Amino acid sequence: MLNYVWISLLMIGIFTAVGRDINDEVTNTYRNGVPVTAQFETTKQRTSVRPAYDGEIIFPSAAFDQFYNISSTQSQQTEIRQTAILTTLSSGKQKLEIPITDATPSFWKEMAKAAGGKDKLEAEIISFDQGKKEIIFTMERVSFVKIKAVTKAAIEFSDTAVTISLSLIGVMALWLGIMKVGEAAGLLEILTKLMTPITRRLFPDVPSNHPAVAAMIMNIAANMFGLNNAATPMGLKAMEELNKINPKAGTATNAMCTFLVINTSGLTLIPATVIAIRAGLGSADPGIIIGTSIFGAACATTAGLISVKILQRLPRYKKELLVEDKDAEVKNG
Amino acid sequence: MVEIFRSAINIISALAIPIFIVVFLGWGVIKKVKVYEVFVEGAKDGFNTAVRIIPFLVAMLFAIGIFRVSGAMDVVVLILSPITNLIGMPAEVLPLGLLRPLSGSGSMGLMTELMKTNGVDSFIGVLASTMYGSSETTFYILAVYFGSVGIKNTRHALPAGLIADFFGMLGAVFITRILFGI
Repeated sequence: MLNYVWISLLMIGIFTAVGRDINDEVTNTYRNGVPVTAQFETTKQRTSVRPAYDGEIIFPSAAFDQFYNISSTQSQQTEIRQTAILTTLSSGKQKLEIPITDATPSFWKEMAKAAGGKDKLEAEIISFDQGKKEIIFTMERVSFVKIKAVTKAAIEFSDTAVTISLSLIGVMALWLGIMKVGEAAGLLEILTKLMTPITRRLFPDVPSNHPAVAAMIMNIAANMFGLNNAATPMGLKAMEELNKINPKAGTATNAMCTFLVINTSGLTLIPATVIAIRAGLGSADPGIIIGTSIFGAACATTAGLISVKILQRLPRYKKELLVEDKDAEVKNG
Repeated sequence: MVEIFRSAINIISALAIPIFIVVFLGWGVIKKVKVYEVFVEGAKDGFNTAVRIIPFLVAMLFAIGIFRVSGAMDVVVLILSPITNLIGMPAEVLPLGLLRPLSGSGSMGLMTELMKTNGVDSFIGVLASTMYGSSETTFYILAVYFGSVGIKNTRHALPAGLIADFFGMLGAVFITRILFGI
């Protein structure tokens, strides 16, 4: 199933991006080549050293939204004020440079991003009447916004993946070291024995005295108390132990799937991140969601455990555990 | 009641790791384990495990990244919203429900956005934070956990994980409706 989901994410993503770009091109969403009129208020006159006017372009918000055909007003102000620099090029043409700041309308921010990730937009000036302060200009061409974003995302996210993986090295080493001491001291064995009544039911394929059991228990406990830094290394340790009793390398066992589902349903007693964000946003009672979150996660865990136990009985998934049937297995994913 | 529960959990969370270290290493000393040597021996695997995850995580994250920036989510939301309306899930939180299993940071941003625009303590604000709190980033966990031991055929883990996420969302909507509903 992962194969299909993975390829669907990619294909749907790329085709949607292309479709949207074609649509943008046809409807000219970015108003390429369409002149726009605005007020230009000079804040700094040009000097002989710097042949440029600093100033502000002023739009009524409604006119801006109408020009770009934006349905909802994106700014609260009735007026958009945007700093800009008006320069005269050696060819005699005049150019408008629009630096992207926090006050920039979000539509222009998006355009600047699409124009190559620069921190400014450029516009060609058609006419500038200093007396009337009226300026007419066309913005630079913006096209293939989504497909450019897709290309950028592909590269950036691969980079993120490596960063995330490498940042695990430290905590992994720390916890694996501590766990190894616990193992050598026989502490994991004691822990395993204590939890046998529960784990025997959840993971019937795992021998009840196996070190994987202790690692899984510690991972689940760490998750419940929101100790993410400890939970992942313990979970990975558990996976390593489970893999030692895996008859078929590269294929997940029933126990691994069960363990994974417990992890993905994320039963946490205190969702610390959410509470912190709520407090930051000025909630009257940030912790109000503790009870509801536990309920939601309990629903997820129950549903997950039931479905994992039902699914593992399906012939489709059962068959993949057979060691002989190598070739058919690869295609099944 | 909730207060006591909360502070108890907070105390346990704060103390857990130091206690853990003391108990494990202390027990090792009692049992005459050469703690330093054994620790280093175990820690050695940290690097290999992390590096083994890389190809799996790259495969997963770049696909999710492309899906997210393409704006395909809007299309999926459009298709699914009539169905989710039936179960009483507000249209605003549907993107959050869809993004939650795919991206941790993305869904956190979306949750924050929902709380900002609708009010932290509004029905949608509470629902959004509950939905975020009742689930985990399924695809990320799948890639990291299975990647660390080189599992390529994940069998029924993904469908089961997604069923769990779906019921987590349903549970969140149900309980929030009952307790804070409109």
